[in-house]
Amino acid sequence: MKILVKSIWTKLGGIDVLRGVTLEISSTSSIALIGRNGAGKTTLLRTILGILKPYRGSIVVEKGGEQIQTTRMKPYKIARLGIGYVPQGRMIFPDLTVEENLEVAYGSPVPSDVLEWIYTIIPDLKKLRKRLGMYLSGGEQQMLAIARALVRRPKILLLDEPLEGLAPRIVKTITKTLRDIREEGVGLFITEPGNIKRIKPLAEKAYGIDRGEIVYSGNVDGILQDPVARRRIWGL
Amino acid sequence: MSIDYALVQAINTLFYASILFLIASGLSLIYGIMRILNLAHGSFYMLGAYISYTAAMLWIGPTPAGFVAGFVLSLAFLAAVGALTERILIRPLYSKPSELQLLLTFALMIALDDVVKMIWGPEYKSFTKLPWGYMSIGHYSVPIYMLVVIASSTIIGLLLWWFFAKTTIGKQMRAAAYNPEIAAALGMNTDLLFVSAFALGSALSGFAGAMASPILTAYPGMGTDAIVLSFAVIVIGGMGSILGSVVGALIAAIARTVMVIVYPLLEVALIYIVMIIVLLVKPTGLFGKEIVERR
Repeated sequence: MKILVKSIWTKLGGIDVLRGVTLEISSTSSIALIGRNGAGKTTLLRTILGILKPYRGSIVVEKGGEQIQTTRMKPYKIARLGIGYVPQGRMIFPDLTVEENLEVAYGSPVPSDVLEWIYTIIPDLKKLRKRLGMYLSGGEQQMLAIARALVRRPKILLLDEPLEGLAPRIVKTITKTLRDIREEGVGLFITEPGNIKRIKPLAEKAYGIDRGEIVYSGNVDGILQDPVARRRIWGL
Repeated sequence: MSIDYALVQAINTLFYASILFLIASGLSLIYGIMRILNLAHGSFYMLGAYISYTAAMLWIGPTPAGFVAGFVLSLAFLAAVGALTERILIRPLYSKPSELQLLLTFALMIALDDVVKMIWGPEYKSFTKLPWGYMSIGHYSVPIYMLVVIASSTIIGLLLWWFFAKTTIGKQMRAAAYNPEIAAALGMNTDLLFVSAFALGSALSGFAGAMASPILTAYPGMGTDAIVLSFAVIVIGGMGSILGSVVGALIAAIARTVMVIVYPLLEVALIYIVMIIVLLVKPTGLFGKEIVERR
């Protein structure tokens, strides 16, 4: 499966936040999207997911040899094509338990084989399954957000700054979990505000974004050598 | 004050609390899940009252079958009215400033008063007879009907609790209440959740009207009285909380009974005094969580 983003322009509060973004996300690779706060990373994810609509350009999902136009599709239908979402700040439903958080995303009580699969990838969640979302630590919430995105067995996961605001030890655990998910055949698209060292073990390829424009496309190390990316993302 | 008199007043209070709970829980769940303050909610209560009157007094006659038909009809009709209102009138306004929703539902409230006057006329509609007879407590006589209303409302309260605590769609509504965008991006059909929540809340109000009118009569403008009272109930109990609606309704009903006994001219005054005190001391209501503003 592939998501083809074709020169999309998205406005937010009257301002162009995405200005002709073109890129490709696939279920067979792990890609980092690197850019400062306000560069348009979250807006890009929200546009792909149909929460925001671009006023120009189009988004196509390629699935089983079929080309599906998702530009004007409802978010829940886009999600059901096989796209999982781990939002910025986790956004765990606070007054639902861990298992209920999974249940609402799945649409019915989660079948035991899916639950087993999730607990194999994220074993820590199993002992927390009756705990309310509001009583989870930041790392536990991030684990749950990833699990919640996995229940519908997506082909691609979109993760918005999944390593941000976590202790180094937790970053390690999450990194390991995401690598395991990648090995299960799920494509990853991960946004990262600028820490190349921590995103490198997770990504095979990187895009750089600044002020709503893609300013780099290539391997992860290369972004630090690229003069345009250095200037626009790090001001070097 | 005799025991008999106290018992009669207790039943009166519980009857009144039952009706208030049904209206207020509907209003509260719609606001809690969708952040829509439906000013026409009381008008749905009025429609329920008139439908019940029509079924029980005009079509079938004031038999138990007539009354039950009236309840079922009001419930179903107001669920449909609620669904259509959300789908046709309110959904186009989600992305607009919330004042527009208030204005729209306010207009609907005024329009429905006139619709009722057009169809049923401006005069009060009284039910000439109550089903299921009377029960005597000392030398007082209490309609069994009141006990049926109290029991029905209790059962509905328990069903609501079960629905939101145990069913997937109920939990999805709670998830969408927290953050509808995230809910949709995770694959939940929020359009369906919202229209269902609105239909459910409206049906509760219609049902309340159907159950109340045999005792309290049906009249144009009763919706305005109901919406103002149910605001007081959910302000006291807390927005978006079923338990809050229960407690708020009980407090409001007790406050009313006290005034009826002490100084009937100010029947509902104490309710609003309690409301003001709660607003000053705990603005989120007794059981309310902080409601996050959203656009």
